[in-house]
Amino acid sequence: MRHDFIDRYSRIESPVHQLSTGFKVSAAIILILCTILLPIHSYGYFILISICLIGVSIISRIPAKYLLSRLIILEPFVLGVSILSLFQPKGEIIFVTILVKSSICLYTIILLTNTTPFSKILDWLKVIHIPSLFVTILALMYRYIFVLIDDAERMERARASRSFSTNKRQIWKIRAMMIGQIFIRSIERADRIYSAMRARGWK
Amino acid sequence: MSSAIEVKNLQYEYHDGTKALRGISFNIAEGECVGVIGPNGAGKSTLLLHLNGILPAASKVDQSVKVMGQEITNESRGIIHQMVGLLFQNPDDQLFCPTVFEDVAFGPQQFGKSPEDINQIVFDALEHVGLAGYEHRSPHHLSGGEKQRVCLAGVLACKPKVLVLDEPTKDLDPRGKRELKSLLQSIPSTKIIASHDLELIVELCPRTIVLDKGELIADGFTVDLLRNGELMLTHGLEIPHCLRHLHPHN
Repeated sequence: MRHDFIDRYSRIESPVHQLSTGFKVSAAIILILCTILLPIHSYGYFILISICLIGVSIISRIPAKYLLSRLIILEPFVLGVSILSLFQPKGEIIFVTILVKSSICLYTIILLTNTTPFSKILDWLKVIHIPSLFVTILALMYRYIFVLIDDAERMERARASRSFSTNKRQIWKIRAMMIGQIFIRSIERADRIYSAMRARGWK
Repeated sequence: MSSAIEVKNLQYEYHDGTKALRGISFNIAEGECVGVIGPNGAGKSTLLLHLNGILPAASKVDQSVKVMGQEITNESRGIIHQMVGLLFQNPDDQLFCPTVFEDVAFGPQQFGKSPEDINQIVFDALEHVGLAGYEHRSPHHLSGGEKQRVCLAGVLACKPKVLVLDEPTKDLDPRGKRELKSLLQSIPSTKIIASHDLELIVELCPRTIVLDKGELIADGFTVDLLRNGELMLTHGLEIPHCLRHLHPHN
């Protein structure tokens, strides 16, 4: 199964992958903060940062096609909100700025997660004293994304093997029920994981 | 011999009113290896959760289970968790850390061991289950058998006095089963194994407890109980092949 769909390239070798985790994460956070806080007309900065990011991507040896496809998958979530800005005076400029800013931020995160294994990021968060409960939640989330995807894939396969209708409406109706199923299963699984944690001394 | 686990009239009801256990009593001596068998929904897993103090929930104090002579109270729960190592049915529920090292280290960390001790404990535990060098792998890249063994390493790292295993051979291929069997035989602590794998029970456990619908049906020598065709069939079980015929099987 596609166990590496989030961070497929995080374990390859390149100069960027060899940089220290602390450096990469802090650089990413500073970059994102600057991008968010700078005013709309800082075109020079946006262009400069974009060139830097493209440079880093080339050095990191991650295929450009992969990085762009990740960006396209994530972008709609941001655009859905920013489209509202089109309905105000001078909305076009705001819309374009949000588009540019969000692309830079998302691209930074995509680069970070694909050049640094997630467990190293978590280790670093522990080192800088992020509350351990928060780090634990992040770790659990990362661990179980894959289990949930496997679950969903198996369910979808089972559905496909037993449904003979080609009626799109019908298929989506079943999918909607499956989403509910996955939700219930996740809650039950969460219970069992919590038991397993307690069984080994978690308080 | 002093008893490792003492269960006296244990009852348990789920939130929805389903009676999972209806007054179960038994004693397990230190060093014994006991099998727990019964059909699906007999209450095996529920019983095992009680032995480690996960059930009943924190609000209720139960006097029906004693581990190493100690009652399970909210204060003693921590010690009970350490004394009784519980291996869950589904390895994915138990492997909740991003790397194998962190998962095996989880228990010792909770019990307040120093980082140097933890390194040694994790190394020893992984060595014991035959997975030395797996420290930095992530659990989702492991095979079923490897996952199961990492789970066992995580339990062994807590240095439990009693080992409680829920369906340890489920999802294992024959080689995985064979390896797990010899691994379990190499562990001298008290063991309680719930399984549908009756051949495993015959090989590992001299004594067996039969559960059905939350009741204790029989408690005795494994070979005697599992040879009793009527008992086996009434409770959704069957005589394992290795006890059917008298010709040698190995």
